Amino acid sequence: MTRHLAGLAACALAVGLGGPLAAQDQPPITIVINQSPWFPGFQSVVELYEEQTGNTVELDINPFAGSLEKQRTAVRTDQSPFDLLIMNAGFFVEFYTGGFIEPLTDIDPDFTLNPDIYTFDDSVYWDPETNTISAETGQLHSVPVNPFLPILHYRTDLYEENGLAVPTTWDELYENAKVLNDPPRIYGISQRGQRGAFDVTFDVLPYIWSHGGGIFADQKGGDFTVTINSPETLAGMETYLRLANDVGHPSTAGQTQTNVIQNMATGRAGHIQGVPAPALFDDPTQSAVVGQVGYAMVPGTAANPGTPGLGHWLAGIPKNIPDDRKRAALAFLEWFQTEEAQRAYAEAGSPPVSRAVLTSEMAEQDEYRYMPALAESIENSRLTFVIPEAAQVLAVTELRFNQAIGGEIPLEEALNMAAEEIAAAMVEAGYDAPTLEPLE
Amino acid sequence: MGTRPRRRLSPRAWKVLTLAPALALFLLLTLLPLANLAALSLHEVEWLDREAVWTWVGGRNYARIAEDTLFRAGILNTIVFAVVAVALQMVIGFTLALTTTRITRGRVFYRTVFILPILVPGIVIGAIWKLMYSFDFGVINQILLLLGIAPVDWLGDRSLALISVIVVDVWHWTPFCYLLLLAALETLPRDIYEAAEIDGASFWQQLRRLTLPLMAPALVVTFVFRMILAFKVFDEIYLLTGGGPGTATEVISFTIYRRFFTEDQVGYGAAISLATIGVIAVLIVTMSRVATSREAAT
Repeated sequence: MTRHLAGLAACALAVGLGGPLAAQDQPPITIVINQSPWFPGFQSVVELYEEQTGNTVELDINPFAGSLEKQRTAVRTDQSPFDLLIMNAGFFVEFYTGGFIEPLTDIDPDFTLNPDIYTFDDSVYWDPETNTISAETGQLHSVPVNPFLPILHYRTDLYEENGLAVPTTWDELYENAKVLNDPPRIYGISQRGQRGAFDVTFDVLPYIWSHGGGIFADQKGGDFTVTINSPETLAGMETYLRLANDVGHPSTAGQTQTNVIQNMATGRAGHIQGVPAPALFDDPTQSAVVGQVGYAMVPGTAANPGTPGLGHWLAGIPKNIPDDRKRAALAFLEWFQTEEAQRAYAEAGSPPVSRAVLTSEMAEQDEYRYMPALAESIENSRLTFVIPEAAQVLAVTELRFNQAIGGEIPLEEALNMAAEEIAAAMVEAGYDAPTLEPLE
Repeated sequence: MGTRPRRRLSPRAWKVLTLAPALALFLLLTLLPLANLAALSLHEVEWLDREAVWTWVGGRNYARIAEDTLFRAGILNTIVFAVVAVALQMVIGFTLALTTTRITRGRVFYRTVFILPILVPGIVIGAIWKLMYSFDFGVINQILLLLGIAPVDWLGDRSLALISVIVVDVWHWTPFCYLLLLAALETLPRDIYEAAEIDGASFWQQLRRLTLPLMAPALVVTFVFRMILAFKVFDEIYLLTGGGPGTATEVISFTIYRRFFTEDQVGYGAAISLATIGVIAVLIVTMSRVATSREAAT
């Protein structure tokens, strides 16, 4: 009898857990994702999910731009071949505004974002009525999968050797970089300056924001006055160029994210402003600076603290897939939010998106020494774009910033041209986008 | 019961009937997409509530082209790239073909070596040369350092970037010219050369008076083939420079790719695609006519 009762209890428990979100017996899902420094960690977590649940997950891996194009094509067809779209901060809004992403609570009304998971400037919430990001009125549209934002990497061994303190302002960073700069053996700082889909803009924005500048006056507040040629933006860019020209890599205008990471991994850079890729720098097969890279929030100015721009990744479920596949994708997201999954994610070498993990005892271990800097950076970070026209604006900023960094055109002229072009694109898209007086 | 006489198709009807499948395929695969592109170029397409909303904008997309910095740079760089790269490939390819056509020893070996670059996929070529050109770790700069010369920023310096990309293209595509021209050279009649030698014609006289005129059709075809391919260059630029620094290596196919796909400006992307097709068609036809008229004159 007792055995029977125990059996019944087990069945009841199984039924209780076997609701729509239970990560068991789900149809296979396909995730379209880009190849990033954090990808190997994500792949490991996916494998763990498959192992624990018996569900199958296919990964469709692409370069950054290729992933975007595949996602666009997928959501515009009758039925998407992908069940989860890994969307970047630079373009997720176009998927929200196009009505392509299913609100997660429409799949399961009980689904909630785990309170430990960061919302990344509320980017997971979208209000389709007002077409705005809003935690108050918006519905949950996605779950963050990676906290991609710039943090300052510095050489702890060289800092110790030279008695340097971790910089909190650009001026302090400049002075430290000057001490370490000894080209071609080592550059004071290596920064990304090449134009791409979302490259140089990503690296210069922390400079610009901390000087009080920006691309627009207040995107979230609906003020699209173009401020890219404001004196504050100019000051931010001048600081970037001072570091690049005086203590930076001689080919800053041609540096990609890969080059910057390579320079740090081979010991050729005293500092980089990079996305967290801790596993890479502590892997003796890939790095000459194992255990010698320290992490801090990007510097700011005396007036404004460091403000990293978000380039994070969000997982959304397309509307144009059958309900069972939506539920299967949601089951993965439900599992991915758990502390166990987030810890496994960190252990596999990728920065997690859980506050609980980033501020746990793990952060005290040398292996996870990036965690305090990352947690602080996320708290101070902000969204770069909240408009679907981000790709067009980025095309302008990528070109004009790169031209200024490479010396092709003077900085003031580059910013004035950028302002004019951004305003034209915004006006054409129906925004009120006034411009400032051109810089002299 | 008598049988009805079978009606025979007239020659004209037979021609039409046999051509029809090919014509239908041509219409389906070439003209239809072009017509769709033309329609798209007169609209702006927006996605609202999962529906594509086409808004008629008339010629606005075409009017924007003249002001597009990337388009202007793309057209100019593409012309420079195509003319310089193809000219070099033709000269080197023809010289190699002339040099090797009479060598019989080790023929299979050197021909294999010469055509090797053309067999390597563009993506691999981009990766190889990107590593070789690397400022910090590239073999070229390592050699320069050994010689006491400061490293050169091959892909990041705007005055060098386009030349560096052209060098890669020349390395990649010279074998194509070499192969076509070698095949043509080997079909030239030997007796004319024997007669010329008996008449005491020097190598240069034979080259100028015999080889070049006889090779003119092959040279024109090779040149036009290569020009068409050079105008479509994409993978080398995508991998080596991404169009930069600034607009130094921006080429038109890359501009179209960015506008159409990355920025999702499909209407405008269609307009610049059609404009580019027009520009390239005019250039190719003009070049072919010039080449053909010179051929006729000689």
